[in-house]
Amino acid sequence: MNRQTQTFNELDRVIHEPGRLMIVALLFAIDQCDFLYLQHETEMNKGTLSSHLSRLEEAGYVEVVKTYRGKVPQTLLSLTASGREAFKKYRKKLKKAL
Amino acid sequence: MDRVESLLKRPKAYGNIDGTGELGMGFMCLGFALLIWLQLHTPKDSIWNQMYVSFIWIGLLVAMIHFGTKAIKNHITFPRTGFVAYRTQNRIWKAIIAFVIVAMASAGLVLAARPHRHIVMPVFFLGLFLTACYAYGIARRVPWKWLVVLAQVIGLLAIAVLPGDLAATLASGAPTPGVLPASFTRFAGAFLLWLLLYGTLLLISGAISFWLYLRHTQAPTEEANEPANADVQ
Repeated sequence: MNRQTQTFNELDRVIHEPGRLMIVALLFAIDQCDFLYLQHETEMNKGTLSSHLSRLEEAGYVEVVKTYRGKVPQTLLSLTASGREAFKKYRKKLKKAL
Repeated sequence: MDRVESLLKRPKAYGNIDGTGELGMGFMCLGFALLIWLQLHTPKDSIWNQMYVSFIWIGLLVAMIHFGTKAIKNHITFPRTGFVAYRTQNRIWKAIIAFVIVAMASAGLVLAARPHRHIVMPVFFLGLFLTACYAYGIARRVPWKWLVVLAQVIGLLAIAVLPGDLAATLASGAPTPGVLPASFTRFAGAFLLWLLLYGTLLLISGAISFWLYLRHTQAPTEEANEPANADVQ
């Protein structure tokens, strides 16, 4: 196995999936956002986005907070410290592999 | 990899998706232009020429822009396309660095041009620098905004080639003629023209963005802002 293949194999599989990569990259650049923003930016449907967020939450990369904006329910999402660290490592490894 | 980098930049562009960034900048330019015009056209001992009034005026402008933008975001943008909280620390430092660079560049250019007759050139270079910032920050993400860049450059060139006396007439209505040096009135006139040009262009561009945003987006139903299932708890 050459070094490049090895580096690709070392990539974090949770982040490497295109949909989740999009979510993590968007969350990395900000402090916090709501579900609607992610839906608007990723153009995913609610079901797909929810399942990706669940996977990221299970991995401890995303924090989900249920709250209200006035009387309207709002789901706030942010990247956890370990999520930020994982994304930094992922970018570094991807750059190295390419 | 490029796709990842472009995704990282997308939240920045979202800040001006409704044109509020440009509306704020345009309002600030026109507010400054009005203050300078009042200072030049009222007696030296009038209230407009007091230092504290300038600070109050600037404070009012900043407050109006801050709360106006916040109101538009809270009542129109966030319910339609979502809420975003930016990483505050980075933004404050970037704003401070940008302000210091612009202030130092302006002061340097004014000092460098003082002994020469081309007193209008600092305005031209300052305008060029801010046009470049606008092109980099806004126009490269929204293709039609290149028209605004073009209008800014044409306007700047017109100000630069304008006869000095013509630019000075805008600032020479002072009630104590002859008190201000001719070079200063030429510079002040050109600066006023530039503020008016930029302010108007940014307001128009921001208003078009706002109109397009309202036209192409609509608030989703209440449950649309909720995840589809109970997994995300």
